[in-house]
Formats: sequence, structure tokens, C-alpha cells
Amino acid sequence: MSDRITLDELAGLMKKAAGITVTPERLKEHADGEFGELGIDSLGMLGIVGELENRFGTPLDLDMEACRTPREFLDRVNSALPAGA
Amino acid sequence: MMSEPRPRRAAVTGIGVVAPNGTSTQAFWKATQEGISVLDRVTREGCEHLPLRVAGEVRDFDAAATVEERFLVQTDRFTHFAMAAADLALDDAGLGQADTAEAPYSVGVVTAAASGGGEFGQRELQQLWGKGSRFVGPYQSIAWFYAASTGQISIRRGFKGPCSVVASDEAGGLDALAHAARAVRRGTDVLVTGSTEAPLAPYSMVCQLGYDALSTVAEPDRAYRPFTASACGFVPAEGGAMLVVEAQASARERGARVRATLDGHAATFTGAARWAESREGLAQAIRGALDEAGCAPEEIDVVFADALGVPEADRAEALAIADALGAHGRRVPVTAPKTGIGRAFGGAPVLDTAAAVLAMEHGLIPPTPHVFDICHDLDLVTGRARAAQMRTALVLSRGLMGSNSALVLRHGADHAS
Repeated sequence: MSDRITLDELAGLMKKAAGITVTPERLKEHADGEFGELGIDSLGMLGIVGELENRFGTPLDLDMEACRTPREFLDRVNSALPAGA
Repeated sequence: MMSEPRPRRAAVTGIGVVAPNGTSTQAFWKATQEGISVLDRVTREGCEHLPLRVAGEVRDFDAAATVEERFLVQTDRFTHFAMAAADLALDDAGLGQADTAEAPYSVGVVTAAASGGGEFGQRELQQLWGKGSRFVGPYQSIAWFYAASTGQISIRRGFKGPCSVVASDEAGGLDALAHAARAVRRGTDVLVTGSTEAPLAPYSMVCQLGYDALSTVAEPDRAYRPFTASACGFVPAEGGAMLVVEAQASARERGARVRATLDGHAATFTGAARWAESREGLAQAIRGALDEAGCAPEEIDVVFADALGVPEADRAEALAIADALGAHGRRVPVTAPKTGIGRAFGGAPVLDTAAAVLAMEHGLIPPTPHVFDICHDLDLVTGRARAAQMRTALVLSRGLMGSNSALVLRHGADHAS
């Protein structure tokens, strides 16, 4: 499933879109903690989603209220991405 | 009936400067009192071809060295300056994170902005028209905005007291300080206040090209010479200053040094580029500031002039000083150190206020670089700094859109007991 977004890629997006440096290891440990605790605000999340939408060329219809943690976010992004995207 | 509350005096306890001639208060004062000019040809990328040739650029500022990356990506250069200057001012006031974290609701922020985040905005607008709306970053919604520096300083330092922004032109820099002083009188203990600007990116610079008052002279030593027969407009600059303003009594209680007090302020409006009318407006602002400070004209020991560099505006300012101060207006030393660094819009009068505090502390009036042969009836300090005992200073500012402001401040040691 190479089209799935990984924690590694999410860490890269957090750095690019919100200026937050988090190692993939730390992100893995924090997978069930809230993004806010990592220093990401709602605009930062919007930036990450925008990056993904541009990368895949498709709007992601995400319920951001249900994406408070890295795990929730990745689960929903990966199921929202079209198969084989 | 409630008893009349004792008025709380607003004291300056910290100064933080990010200016073309220095990115610390010490470096700024050294260059200012020595009359060193740093006006130079514009070097910012994308600006070389524009008819604005000379500016005051802040060249030795490394935002990443003082501000965390998560705040840098969200903000424009003008807010980078503001966060750095706020850190310097709080440090100078001896207020660390732990001190303010104990009482976050007692610390507020007031800034002024005349130009906003032009460089950030330009980058995102280029994305919009180059690639499409999906490529505009979400932080565009806040980074360009006039209130960005107030918001980001308060978020970054965890301040929860009264926060506001003054968007009233160049003179807004003084209005912000006055607003902070009023907040102190109303009961907030500490205000971080001032103005920083970053108007030297291509988009922002093009916006300024329409100003008749802008100097397009290419020689740095001839581009900005107010109060002379060769006055040819003003040179813009970036940077500015932030001050810590707090209730004098509580400042003394915690052992902070009261460097000056903000005692009087007034503002008027006389219309965009109507310089002849600014005579009456500025004179009225001076009278109002003196009145609030309970200060007689003869008590003013130094005037930091607006010094726009447009002959009609210079004449109006010289006459306003004479109108408001009477015969004393021809004797009082007047200076305009901004001729060595340019006018940083809202930041300019805050830098002048910082210089006024430092001048009173050092007993030294800084000179007005590049200016000789005054053609107005003013005792303008030129050439070298002049030694003088000063207790009270008057700072003047006008904006291109018609705002006039005056601020009276007194030396902190003046009422130590």
C-alpha cells in the first residue's frame, strides 16, 4: 500500500506546513495524543490537508473534529484517498 | 460616592530595538548618539529596478536565532521584528517567562502597524495567481494583518491581558504607547507596546511609489534632509521598537528601574498630505499632550521632530512647535535622528521615544545626520550630539494619511521618591 500516508510523511508535512519539528519516532509515541500538544493549531492542520490535496490532486472531505490525533488523522486521510491514488 | 482613585502613572521599564542601525538597544543608541547614518542603496531582492533607491534596511537580523520556527512560518518579517523586540524589552525590564506566567491576565500587548505583512502577502498572492487558490497557505489569513504582531506576541509569551492594535498611520506608533499608558491607568499591570514595520519588500515598496513625499534621490547622504532648502522627501525604513510599560508603583515594588514615564499624549487628524493644515493639527496635539502631562511649554527640554523632509511639511512642523511652545519653541533643542536610519512608519516614533529615553538617561541629545544649513527658525541639533540635562521630552509624529500625534515623557529619576 505505497499510496498510504505514513507517520514519516506526516512529520515532514508538519514541518513544512506548520514549522513543527517532530521526529517520526516521537510522532509514533504521540500517535494517540492531540495535535495541539505538539504545537499544531487549526490553521496548521488546514495547511497539512491543503498540501495533501495538492499532492493527490483531489479534495479530501475530512471531518477535522474527528482528526484530533495523528492516528485518527492518518486513518481518515488514508481511507479518504482514492484507491491507487 | 466612590472616592477618586489615585491615578496610576505609566512607566517605561524596558526597551527593545530592532533598527537599521542596530538590533539591540545598545547598538542603536551608540550609532544614534554618534550620528552615524546607515542609509544605503536598496539591496532587497526584487527591488533593485524600482525608482526608490535609498532606504534604511535592517541587515543584521537573524529571525531564526531568536524566534521559534513554528512562529516564523506563521508570520511576516514585521512580526519577526516585533517578537524579537518584545523579547529584548521584556528582558530589559527583568520580566522572564516565569514572572509573567504567574499572572498572565496582568500582561497585555498593544502594537501599531501602518503597512502590515506585505512580504508574506506577496508570496501567497503569487501562489494564488501563479498556481491557484489551493496553493495559498492558511496562515495568509493572519500573517498580513495589522493585528498580527499583537496576537503573536501574546500567544507566544502566554499573555492574557488586554490586547489591541492601533492602525492610525505612522503616528499610530505614539498612539499605541498612549493606549498602553491608558490600559495601565485602568488597572493592567504590564503592557508590551510599540511598533515594528517591514515595508521594504517589492509589493510594499511599489505601494509606496505613489507617495509624493517619498524621496527618489539615489545618493544616501542627500536623500533625506528635512528642514533644509534641499529637502526632497523622506527615506523609508524597516524595524522599530517595543517597550515595556507598567504601573510605576508596582514596577518600583518589584525593584524594576523606571526609565521614564509616559505623561501626556494627544492626537489629531488633518487629512492626507495636507501639510499646511498639519501645522494646526500638530500644534493642537502638542497642547493636548502638555495639558495631560501638566507640563508648561518651558519645561520641554528636547523635541524629537517628525521631520518629514517635504518643505511644506517641515515649515508646518516648525511653525507648530512655535505655535504650541511660544518663544520657547525657538530655544528648545530639536533633533531628528531618523535622518540616519529612515522612517520606519509606525516604528519611527517608537524609535524616537526609545531615543528620547536614552537621551535623557545619558544627558546627550543625538544629532540629525545629513542635515546642515537649517532654513527654519529651530535650534536643530546637527553634526555632533549635544550635552544637556533633560527631564522632559516631546516626541512628534505625523502620518502620510493625516494623523498627528504628540507624546510627553519624563525622565524616570525625576520622581524617584
